[in-house]
Amino acid sequence: MKNRYPSWMATALAAAVLSPTTPSQTTRFAPPVRLQAGDKLLGKGRLYPSPAVHDLDGDGRLDVFVGDLRGHITFALRNPDGTFADEQKLRDADGKVLDFGNW
Amino acid sequence: MSPQFVDFNGDGHLDIVCGIFDGSPHVAFGDGTHWRQPVGILDKEGQRIVMNEFWNFDTEQWDSTHRCDPDGGAPAPGHLTSAIAMDIDRDGDFDLVLGDHKSGYVYLRRNEGTDASPAFATRNELVMAGGSPMRDPGTVATLRSVDWNGDGRLDLMVGGMGDPYGSATGGGVAVYLDVGTGDATEFGPAVQLIEPSPKTATGGPTRPDSGLHPEAVDFDGDGDLGLIVGGYSHWTPEGPELTAAEQKELAQTKARLAEITARIVELNAEMLKAQEGLAAEAALELRRKLLQDPERKRLRSEEQKLRRRQNELEPTAKRVSFTWLYEQY
Repeated sequence: MKNRYPSWMATALAAAVLSPTTPSQTTRFAPPVRLQAGDKLLGKGRLYPSPAVHDLDGDGRLDVFVGDLRGHITFALRNPDGTFADEQKLRDADGKVLDFGNW
Repeated sequence: MSPQFVDFNGDGHLDIVCGIFDGSPHVAFGDGTHWRQPVGILDKEGQRIVMNEFWNFDTEQWDSTHRCDPDGGAPAPGHLTSAIAMDIDRDGDFDLVLGDHKSGYVYLRRNEGTDASPAFATRNELVMAGGSPMRDPGTVATLRSVDWNGDGRLDLMVGGMGDPYGSATGGGVAVYLDVGTGDATEFGPAVQLIEPSPKTATGGPTRPDSGLHPEAVDFDGDGDLGLIVGGYSHWTPEGPELTAAEQKELAQTKARLAEITARIVELNAEMLKAQEGLAAEAALELRRKLLQDPERKRLRSEEQKLRRRQNELEPTAKRVSFTWLYEQY
């Protein structure tokens, strides 16, 4: 079967299969912490920030993307130590900001 | 808009699918290196995919239609602001799952074609969960497909909007497990992963309280899924214990601010009256001049100082967006 989802999802699935959970009984989260990119808080002040993950640079580490109500996407590459580099705007091949906000 | 990385057209490269506030789903096709500027995803007749409310690009106004309602009608007016690609009918191609920001329902737009040559139906279908239409009481902020319980079947995660501004209940995150056993997807009832926020934080942000946009991922590689959640945190800063003198100062500050506001309203009314009958350019010139009036500038300056002081004595509620990481114990 061709891989139609990002590679991280297959990794997550494999991990989950090794340790199956029943969320209604076992899902307990630690108190959440805010993510940081560079010296700023990731997505702070954006209109309805919406994160997604994808290994953009193919280094085997998941990078984090943040979309917003205006229709723009930023990304922060994950460093080897697990921290994130500064957020950058996602651009097309011509260098134009990818813009979903056409309304 | 919630970006979803997925090979939507089956060409081997990840694309970005999302719904946006115009009321329709969009896709930016990728070539493995970059993504092209997004385009709308249309149905098999070339029509926009919407719920009820949408931005009409021809009239440049908000508009409404029942063209895409499910058979029997929609249970409530809907406004699509989120969309993901998911093979919900398990026939080997991506359908669209649509989130309703207005009334909280979740709809399916079935793909009757293939990934390479999609043919989306012309009407929405209600997605069912546990025998009832799937609905987030806080309305839908976004959707995610993920195999949450590791049984090899994709489940549907819903991030709730909640009350985005006021003190009413905020948003949470729920997952609807695919409890089917055969070829059909069959969602069970909601399993709450993050409870809707009561918005009781004081002193500082403690969690995303409204507009919750989750992404599920094993971020630390420990073998279980965590959540990255974007959203707004609401909290009331802790104010100082006021002395009798400070309480008096606060009362005086509020009273003076009320006086200033009333005087500025008067000045605005005078300015509007002075502009009556003037040509647009002359009216604009007069407005610029009157905005520089010394009394107005003095009042504005005093108002700023007083508001700063008021906020020190009696901090006002905060609402700021962040991105949070939830890890399982």
